[in-house]
Amino acid sequence: MPTPNDFSLQGKGALIVGAEHAVGRAAAVTLAEAGAKIVIASQEPGTDKQLKEVAKLVSSAGAKAVVRVQSAALRADASATADLAAKELGGLHILVNALDASAYGPAEAADDTAFDKIIESNLKTVWMSCQEGARVMLRAGGGVIVNITSVLAERGVPNAALYCAAKGAVLNLTRALALEWARKGIRLNAIQAGWLDDESSPANKDNEFSKTLRKYLPDNRLVKPEELGGALLYLVSPAAGFVTGESIAVDGALRARV
Amino acid sequence: MILDSLKLDDRVAIITGAGRGLGRAMAVKLAEAGADIVAAARTQAQLDETADAVKKTGRKCLIVPTDVTISAQVNALIDATLKEFGRIDILINNAGGGDGTLGKQLPDIGDDDWRRGIDTNLSSQFYGCRAVAPQMVKQQRGKIINVASGYGLRGGKHNFMYACAKGGTIQLTRSMALTYAQFNIQTNCIVPGIFPHNEEMMQFFKGGKFIPIGRVGDDSELGPLAVFLASDASNHINGELIAIDGGGLAGGITPTGVSPESSN
Repeated sequence: MPTPNDFSLQGKGALIVGAEHAVGRAAAVTLAEAGAKIVIASQEPGTDKQLKEVAKLVSSAGAKAVVRVQSAALRADASATADLAAKELGGLHILVNALDASAYGPAEAADDTAFDKIIESNLKTVWMSCQEGARVMLRAGGGVIVNITSVLAERGVPNAALYCAAKGAVLNLTRALALEWARKGIRLNAIQAGWLDDESSPANKDNEFSKTLRKYLPDNRLVKPEELGGALLYLVSPAAGFVTGESIAVDGALRARV
Repeated sequence: MILDSLKLDDRVAIITGAGRGLGRAMAVKLAEAGADIVAAARTQAQLDETADAVKKTGRKCLIVPTDVTISAQVNALIDATLKEFGRIDILINNAGGGDGTLGKQLPDIGDDDWRRGIDTNLSSQFYGCRAVAPQMVKQQRGKIINVASGYGLRGGKHNFMYACAKGGTIQLTRSMALTYAQFNIQTNCIVPGIFPHNEEMMQFFKGGKFIPIGRVGDDSELGPLAVFLASDASNHINGELIAIDGGGLAGGITPTGVSPESSN
């Protein structure tokens, strides 16, 4: 049993939700490279163009991607997406939730609409995707789910109270669901991304915060979305059969300091 | 290509406590991934068995009998590896156990029991990190994996030495990560749950009845995690702990295998 086979996803089907984001895009490519069949679904409607680009990357990685543009915040969409994935993939073995909508601003200025919006886009979407994915997986005897959250799940940062709250909730949602479904064949784990080098990251701007932050990072650089790939592949592969309710930070040692 | 980044072809890996159990399982799996192995432990006969298993994969295995509680011997282990292979890509500080405090009440734990336990489980890992770091700095590349335990994160009744030593392992890992991040050296921690090595342990843990996933771990399951943390697929993971415990630490505050009744 040569080791690379421990991590092979040949014959597995994976659904990546939030594939229009840099992290979701990288996740789709990683799992395709490892041999999985792929369905990519969006977080927001109106993302046809982005998803088509991701589908192209997936196909360069050797897999055909089925594209599903949806609103991950709508129950009917989340439900139909899980069913579609199971049908297209011949069973939903792997679900990756790369759902995220970063939101920064002073707490005093946040109204109730902000609360609902931030919690819905960062937490409710993940909850519904887990529920609907698990509905399909439980029927088939199991599966594996990875929720991508942030190192902010366990640390605070100013001007992001609701975002931090939602990210922390995703982490603990992952733990609790992992325990609930542990004996039903579903493993759930999280990945906590450090400060990301992607288009939506506040760390990736030319400003004072970003400059100071880089000096503070243990290896002075941001995390590239594709660098989450190793942790993702390990967690979804059969090699991690005894790993559930766990979270892996990909942050270049940032969390070891704070 | 992600699968290629998990290969360890021609890397050199030192594993302490490699004579049995988790250490041997990791040695063999790293060899299957392509690494040459340096197997260290106290007992020659056990190392011979590990070497046989490694050689079956087609990789080399250097045996270096080592008492990891003696820093001069750990230094000699590093020297012997460099003499044979010329570099060190991976160090797994796995040796541990030897708990003379087990089953004793606090007032009955002697200084020697305490010191021997801390030396075996924590000082040994410090000696390994200290001895290998200069070489890895020279290479501008290295992977260190320290094996801790769930007891590094939680307390245990009548569990003093082991919990303290393993908690120390976790802090050693973090400080190594922060100190050597700039030299492209990643130090991480594996946190194994229950991996029984004999029938008696299996009985004691009731076959994993109280582990969320409903079973105990098998030694072979540690190998792929070690490969992942030793490989380029984990290059931006540093100072991190990864529990492989069937959900043990995710719960922890309630007895597992039971749950609160539905409230509506």
